[in-house]
Amino acid sequence: MAAPHAVPAIELAHMTVSYGASPVLWDVDATFPAGAMSAIVGPNGSGKSTLLRAALGLVPADAGRATILGQPAREAMRRVAYVPQREAVDWDFPITVREVVEMGRYPSVGWIRRLRAEDRAIVDESLERVGMGPFAGRQIGQLSGGQRQRVFVARALAQRAELLVLDEPFAGIDARTEAALLGLLAELRDREGRSVVMVHHDLQTVREVVDWVLLLNVRAVASGPVATTMTPENLRRAYGAGEVGLDEREGAAWAG
Amino acid sequence: MGWLIDLLPLPYTDAVVVIGAAVLGIAAGVLGALAVLPRRSLVGDALAHSALPGVAIAFLVTGAKDPASLLVGAGIAGLIGALMMVGIERTSRIRPDAAIGVVLSSFFSLGIVLLTYISSTGNSEQAGLETYLFGQAAGLLERDVAVMAGLAAGAIACVAIGFRPLKASIFDRAFAASIGLRVRVVELASTALLVVAIVIGLRSVGAILMVAMLIVPTVAARQLTNRLSRLLPLAGLIGGAVGAVGALASARAEVPTGPVIVLTGTVVVLAAVLLAPGRGVVWQAARRRGERRTARSSGVLIDLETALHAGPPPTPSELAMASARPARDVRRGLRDLGRAGLLEHDGDRVRLSESGAAAAHTALEGRRLWSAWLEHGWRLDPGDAREPDPRDLRGSLGDDLVERLIAMDGGARP
Ligand SMILES: Nc1ncnc2c1ncn2[C@@H]1O[C@H](COP(=O)(O)OP(=O)(O)OP(=O)(O)O)[C@@H](O)[C@H]1O
Ligand SMILES: [Mg+2]
Repeated sequence: MAAPHAVPAIELAHMTVSYGASPVLWDVDATFPAGAMSAIVGPNGSGKSTLLRAALGLVPADAGRATILGQPAREAMRRVAYVPQREAVDWDFPITVREVVEMGRYPSVGWIRRLRAEDRAIVDESLERVGMGPFAGRQIGQLSGGQRQRVFVARALAQRAELLVLDEPFAGIDARTEAALLGLLAELRDREGRSVVMVHHDLQTVREVVDWVLLLNVRAVASGPVATTMTPENLRRAYGAGEVGLDEREGAAWAG
Repeated sequence: MGWLIDLLPLPYTDAVVVIGAAVLGIAAGVLGALAVLPRRSLVGDALAHSALPGVAIAFLVTGAKDPASLLVGAGIAGLIGALMMVGIERTSRIRPDAAIGVVLSSFFSLGIVLLTYISSTGNSEQAGLETYLFGQAAGLLERDVAVMAGLAAGAIACVAIGFRPLKASIFDRAFAASIGLRVRVVELASTALLVVAIVIGLRSVGAILMVAMLIVPTVAARQLTNRLSRLLPLAGLIGGAVGAVGALASARAEVPTGPVIVLTGTVVVLAAVLLAPGRGVVWQAARRRGERRTARSSGVLIDLETALHAGPPPTPSELAMASARPARDVRRGLRDLGRAGLLEHDGDRVRLSESGAAAAHTALEGRRLWSAWLEHGWRLDPGDAREPDPRDLRGSLGDDLVERLIAMDGGARP
């Protein structure tokens, strides 16, 4: 992963985004290499989700440019699977778990054509991968919080996209499933050369499984390969030096 | 359409009315779901009310009570109302509910003013325009019904073709947009379809109560299914039935159709809310009661087995004492067990019958299996998310896992 592919997965140039008065992202330059697993790390409210959404063109940027897999965000949408931090779906909607995952096949099947046998196989496999196979017939609201999250990860898997953009995909997911899913993502990267960009708060895990990291706090604090980027110095710059608890967090991060 | 009319065992005029009302019910049922599921039912209400001034203006313009031109007027006014609601929501800080209120009341007021003006002109043609308020299915002509059926078929075909975009944009707007769907276009189209449904039903159900015809079928169908692909046809079916029954009743009783249809719909919704299998209130209460009863009698059964092991057959009150269970529960549990033929009475003392002993044995084995699961279950890896059910471990985990569990527990099966 040291040598990034010629075309990066996501490339941001001078990205500035604001919701109200003051910018929540300020002049961020960042590159996430293709065929690698990357993480965005930073404290709450540092603009991680905003960065992903701006990169995908889901919130307008005040300035700057986002390129995804070498294309402008709009045109690359079909090549990307995105799992937002919190799904704003209608949990009472009459739809089953399986049908939700089937939606992941719409980009390749189209809006009208029937799902082919291979699409159904992909849906089954995605459900199995997140351990939700036995729940396929349940209405989506009749699941626990973590199970709901797993369904949306499964939908992203079913998209078979070249780039997976995951915003805290493991929030509310138990440790064992998280490990299994991380293994799966690594497998997708290694076997099929797919790219993963995710927001993840567990620095320990980031250190263990991720290739490339962006430390973010309104501005890009540092980015690069994990080993040379996640230094105590940089972490302090991202999370704030005087903050209580940083030392424990850092201690935990280094312990592994 | 002639053959359908001939098919019904009704006088010609009644048959036309029933078919017309069924068509409007089917259309309102299927298309109403597009308003109810995204929680925009009251948009349907506002659209129906805004159609009224359209009817009046069309009459003023054409000077005749030709249903087709009146309905075109209704459709145009409904669309204008829809666009105004969207405009108000987008450009001002008024929330959708308030925007609905503003459009509904202003358009309806305009409609009433115009209708009053028209009736004061003494134009003999105008008699009967007020049926657009409360609806009058009686007097529908075969020609009208044919137009309604054509519109309904077209609109329902649109829903069938646009099924996936509609489903995706209602369920998960952000995802639909992220895979390249023009969500705004889909929403506009579904509003337009809603207007079509209203136009179809306006004359028979009336502007004031049309919203019920849009809501009732989906609410009832939602009680019966968890899948959109079944909900839509089901809503159409329920809507059609409600429409036909209501129209027939109103024609016979010579009262406005709208209220009768709405009352019919209310009965259907009540029945669905109370009785629907799985979700119905009565159904759930019955299930909970059954569960409580089963739990009570199997608890008492095991207590009795334990007491019989320890000493002579107990009386009910001794059993209650020994098992620290309220005496009333024990009495009821014993009554249920007795009815199932599991007990033998010896004066006021109770023993287990032969089948009772077998049942106690099974229950105890279930408990033992559950303890084994708690102790060793973590070592069994089902490889999926099979959920153990404490009441029926074998059924929920499958025979293979249970056999492995028993082996792990040291073959502790007598
Ligand atoms: N819709 C919004 N309107 C106004 N401000 C917003 C909005 N969404 C986010 N913000 C602000 O923008 C900043 C960045 O938010 P963002 O969601 O990107 O943070 P984050 O890094 O993802 O945080 P977390 O770790 O809590 O998910 C925060 O200060 C937040 O208050
Ligand atoms: Mg976030």
